[in-house]
Parts: sequence; structure tokens; C-alpha cells
Amino acid sequence: MPALLAAVLLALYLWVGSQTLDSIERARVNLDFILSATSRHVQLTVVSTVLVLLIAIPTGVLLTRSFARRISPPTIAVFNIGVAIPSIGLLALFSVVWDIGFWPAVLALVAYSALPVLRNTMVGLQQVDPTVIESARGMGMSKLGVLARIELPLAVPVILAGVRTALVINVGTAALATFINGGGLGEIIITGIGQNRQLVTVVGAVLTAVLALLIDYLAGLAEDFLRPRGL
Amino acid sequence: MSEFISYLESHWDDLLELGIAHALVVAVSVAIATVIGVALGIATYRTERPRELVLAITGFFLTIPSLALFGLLISPLGLGWPPVAVALVMYALLPIVRNTVVGLREVDPAIVESAQGMGMGRARRLLRIELPLAWPVIMTGMRVSTVIVVGIAAIGAYVNGPGLGEDIFRGLRRIGNPETALNLVLGGLLGIVVLAILFDLVYVLLSRLTTSRGIR
Repeated sequence: MPALLAAVLLALYLWVGSQTLDSIERARVNLDFILSATSRHVQLTVVSTVLVLLIAIPTGVLLTRSFARRISPPTIAVFNIGVAIPSIGLLALFSVVWDIGFWPAVLALVAYSALPVLRNTMVGLQQVDPTVIESARGMGMSKLGVLARIELPLAVPVILAGVRTALVINVGTAALATFINGGGLGEIIITGIGQNRQLVTVVGAVLTAVLALLIDYLAGLAEDFLRPRGL
Repeated sequence: MSEFISYLESHWDDLLELGIAHALVVAVSVAIATVIGVALGIATYRTERPRELVLAITGFFLTIPSLALFGLLISPLGLGWPPVAVALVMYALLPIVRNTVVGLREVDPAIVESAQGMGMGRARRLLRIELPLAWPVIMTGMRVSTVIVVGIAAIGAYVNGPGLGEDIFRGLRRIGNPETALNLVLGGLLGIVVLAILFDLVYVLLSRLTTSRGIR
């Protein structure tokens, strides 16, 4: 995968190098602008994903504890409807009722991508064999000890799959942050579309796609690496 | 809140028109993706290498951010319906192919063997035995694809695609006038959620009507 992505970038570089750029194209297709847009894009993705982890995993743990057993089915039903909310609608809503810029974009990403992590945390914890939990309790482990040393480690593969999904959603949705002045690589794409400069559109689109594929690839590596031994 | 309700009352027909266009582009795209996806699933479910290749390629499509894909497609296809429909088909493929493969592989080999013993040829076994048994799983894939595609179609409005995304982008352009902007954005957003729920109901109905009676 990395070799393929590097080849795509090289081909893009050679193609752009063979074209003569006008002033609008030069304003977007230059290394400084591309690097700052990329780093903004990565910031949007990483900050929103970290916030999702901090919010969704503890919430998922709480919702699977025995005291919450009653409210978890209706909560899941609400989540299933939440999946239908379009990402661009959420970004637009945050910008209208709150503000434009980086943070509204980040929080819209968090709201949009929290569901897969939350759902996978709950599913991962619920599929742990109850007899395993019972034997741990019988050995004298506290409820918290069972959660930290038995349930969570056993749920890690499912939770990680959810985190990877959230990461891919975030890197894709971050391309839309530019619609509410949040920056990112989407800015290059919409300049190209808005000013009718195909070269700019293609450069922005290819860079965005390469970044998304790279992040998905890295998340896949991390997923294999972080999985507890013995599972 | 009452502002929004009176907005809905006065713009009811516009929203309905956009909603129908939105539903149409989604339905057409999922239908095309189903034909392609089921065909790919049938062609590859028995052989490991091609199957993995098809799943990798359709998974690759789903990883490409939608704005980037629209940007790449407007060079050859222009603005409007074509790039949006093509992109939506690409996004809808993975769940349908994956579920076709899973559904077909889950069919009990003993059943297929007895069909063979009864003298059914390869094509008839597929059409009369394997596909009907896999159909509920394939429908689930179509349902997942539809939810994904209903949301992405909203972004297609930026490249002049049809549907409720148009109101969301109009709202974004009028951000200086918060009241109008909020009405437009909320109208588009809620319209899309309602549409997703309606599609789900249609699938419930469709799966009742089209699932073979023996496995219902």
C-alpha cells in the first residue's frame, strides 16, 4: 500500500510539473499551502478521534454495566437513527447554531463518528463469555478488576475495529470542514471546483484520497499491533 | 421552533420535490450497485484470490473521501447527476458484495448437493437454491449501503447533484442570516433522516415480500 500511494503521489507531482500554472492555480498548488492544509487535515482527524475515544469508550463501558441494562436497548435504537444524519448536515448545523472554524468542525466530526466506537465498545463487552466473568469474580476479583483485567482486554479487538472505522470516517469528513472554514485538504478541492480549475481539483482530491488510504493503512497496522496476545 | 414549523408549512412542496429527487438518485444507485455487486459476488464466492481482490477494491472505494471522489469524477463526467450517481454506486458496492459472498457461502453444502443429486444444473442450483437462501443476507447489505449512500448524496449537491443537500448548502451560504440558514439546514437534515427511515421501512416490506416462504 505505501508503495502504491508513493507512486500515485509521484505521478501527480510529475503531471503537475509538466503543466503551466496560472495565478489561481499557483495560490493553491504550492508546497507551503499543501503542507499547511495537510497538517490541518491531520489535526482535525486526530483531535476528533482522540475526543471520540475519550467520550465513547467510557460511555460504552457505563452503558453495559448491570445498572444500565434497562436503558441500553433504547439508547442503541436512538444510535441507529443517528447513523442516518448526514455529515454535511451536522457540520452545517454546528456552524449555524454555534460558529465557523476549527473547533465547531472538530465537534461535528466527534458527534458524527462517536457512534461506531460506542456501538463496538458495547458489542465487544457484551460478547465476553459470562462464565469467564463469573470465574474471575469467584477467584475474588472486584468488579472493577474484572472490567480492567478481563472484560476490556477481551473486548479490545472489537473496540479497535470501531476506532479504525471512526478514524476513516473522520479523515473523510474532515475534507468537508472547509465548508465551515475549518481548513484541511477540502479547501484545495473546493477552490478547484469553485474556480473551475480542474488541475487544482484533481490535486486536492488525490491528496485527500491518499491521506485517507494512508491513515486507514496505518490504523490497520496499529490494530494488529495493539491486539492483546493470546486472543 | 414555531419559526421552523411555519418555514416547513410554506416550503413543504420544495422540500418534497428535493426529497423525491434525493430518493430517486439513492434508489437508482443502490439498484445498479445491487446488480453489479451480486454479479461480482456470484462470480467470486468460490475462489479465494478473486474474492479477496474484489473485496479489497470495493473497500478501497469506500475509504476514498466523498468530496475527493466527486472532485475526481467531475473532470470526465461534468457536474450534476452523473458524477453523483457513479460515486454512490461505488460507495454502495462493498456491503452488497460482502453480504452476497457471505450469504452464498453460508448455504449448507448438503442442500446444494441434494439439488445436484436431483439433477439440477449449476445455473438452476444458483437461481433456485443458493440465491433465494442468500437473499435475506444480501438485502441486509443493500440496507447498509442505502444508509451510507443517503448521507453521501447530500454532499453531491455541491457538484450540482440532486436532492436535499441543496438546502444544506444554501443554508451554509446564508450563514450571515442565522434564521434563514438554520431553517434551510434543519429542513434538509431532517428531510434526509426521514428519508433514511422511510427507506428502512421499504426494506422491511421488501424483505417480507421477496424472502422465499420456506425460510421466512
